[in-house]
Amino acid sequence: MKENTLEKEIISIIADVSGFDPGEITPEAKLADDLEIDSIKAIEIVVAIEKKYKVSVRDEDVPKITTVSETVAVVHKLLNQELATNVRN
Amino acid sequence: MSGTDRPSYDAVIIGSGISGLVCGSYLAKAGLKVLIAEQHHQPGGYCTSFVRRGITFDAAAHSFGGYRENGIIRKVFNDFRLNDNVAVTRYDPTDVVVSPDSEISLWSDLERTIADLGSSFPDEQDNFRKFASFLLKPDPQSFAGMRRWTFKDLLDHYFRNDKLKSMLSFPIFGNGALPPARMSAFIGAKIFTEFILDGGYYPEGGMQRLSNALAESFQHFGGELLLSCPVSKIIIKNGGAAGIVIGGKMPVSAGSVVSNCDARQTFLRMIGKKHLPLEFMNKLHRMQPSLSMFVLYLGLDQEFENTLHAGSNIWYLSHYDLEKMYRSAARRSPSLIDECMVRISPDRKSLLAFTNTSFRNRAFWSDSKSKFIDGFIARLSRIMPGISQHILYKDAATPSTMDRYTSNYRGAAYGWESTTAQLADPDFRRPSFIRHLYLTGHWSTQGLGIPGVAYLGYDTATSVLKRRKASLSQSSPE
Repeated sequence: MKENTLEKEIISIIADVSGFDPGEITPEAKLADDLEIDSIKAIEIVVAIEKKYKVSVRDEDVPKITTVSETVAVVHKLLNQELATNVRN
Repeated sequence: MSGTDRPSYDAVIIGSGISGLVCGSYLAKAGLKVLIAEQHHQPGGYCTSFVRRGITFDAAAHSFGGYRENGIIRKVFNDFRLNDNVAVTRYDPTDVVVSPDSEISLWSDLERTIADLGSSFPDEQDNFRKFASFLLKPDPQSFAGMRRWTFKDLLDHYFRNDKLKSMLSFPIFGNGALPPARMSAFIGAKIFTEFILDGGYYPEGGMQRLSNALAESFQHFGGELLLSCPVSKIIIKNGGAAGIVIGGKMPVSAGSVVSNCDARQTFLRMIGKKHLPLEFMNKLHRMQPSLSMFVLYLGLDQEFENTLHAGSNIWYLSHYDLEKMYRSAARRSPSLIDECMVRISPDRKSLLAFTNTSFRNRAFWSDSKSKFIDGFIARLSRIMPGISQHILYKDAATPSTMDRYTSNYRGAAYGWESTTAQLADPDFRRPSFIRHLYLTGHWSTQGLGIPGVAYLGYDTATSVLKRRKASLSQSSPE
């Protein structure tokens, strides 16, 4: 998947959870400070991403996700790993 | 809305539990025209009181937390000037856990708790400090990283001693109805933070004072509160919530509908299957509700002497196997009342005690309520010898009572079970398949107790206002 398509999808997930309009959400936006993402919403976002893309985000990687673009980067990396595994198999 | 004379609101809220009251207050303060419809004759849900023989009894909730400097309840008090009407006292220690071998007191002063811990668990003092400092430092992402952790995983991460872990888990079991190996780390951590580390607050005069003060503040900002008005239906138009029907006959239009009641009732009874996607219906039927509880109320004479701290929540466990306690709650009998919480009211005139139990059926409780009352008093006599000679009044709330007064499914005390598997589905808060519908309170996500549901009420109000602003700016012709 192209990274900008992925970015749009992730922004849509974050918009659903945060209540902000997708147009208000920039890649640089900070989840906690700018988008008012609390503990429950942070869990909701990670669970929604794992469900949609059928991936598993490593627990230790989650605290590193603090902005929209970092969220996109983590998912992008996971999807590429999966692609590489599928190609090898 | 043209062509109808029905009353119309910007938002209607079904249920006046703490979450509904807080949500309504923020919406009314923001200038919205808001209606709250409540089935009971007084507001509060599980946060109510009643008077018998001149003695005030709290029905279920018996203290609250989240009142520290940046706590959610402090914010609500400040935003609505509740201190003008409610005097808050903090009782110390907030909680005491009594096991067969030792006793832990949890004080408002963390260092005092840690110092006390030294007498029984000297090797764990530093660990407790680290645990508390993690809990009190809000970092939302760290809980997302623990979304698969149980509370047991979290305790294992910080502590070594299994007896201590069970003792620290027991108030969490009582306030969340799950043993540590089943409870999500997030909700266990939240209960420990908001009930224990920052708990033990009490509105002087009884818990009803808190609900009443919120209701008055809601009305002060122009909100309308209808009591003794059960809602029979949520009106759905063009895929969106458009209002409610009160008492089967009075339709009310609304821009947004917020349900502060049981999720099953909201979706299955008030909305109806035909508006629900099959996948969601299946999920709803798979979801497990939390256990209910049996609450004993005793009025005590003034000759009764005991050494229990008034206003503290005192937890008794006679063994350390919380998994066993969870299983025994499902087959609770009058002779099987063991682990429990006891609280002597600040005026020492009454006592509230409870133990977790499953619902079974209404007939079971109408047949055995009085036997359970006697069984519970026998249990308390082992803690406070002679108490049975000092009882002026006795009554109890069974799971069936909880169900009747609050319509919580099967008298569930804490909404859905707070397992990791039931952790986070936004469709229970803001269903994607019905626009303008919101759920708030302990059935909408993981968040329980007065601080938890107050936070959800605040957050739901914020969501309603954000979406309203977005739709107003889209529909604006300019």
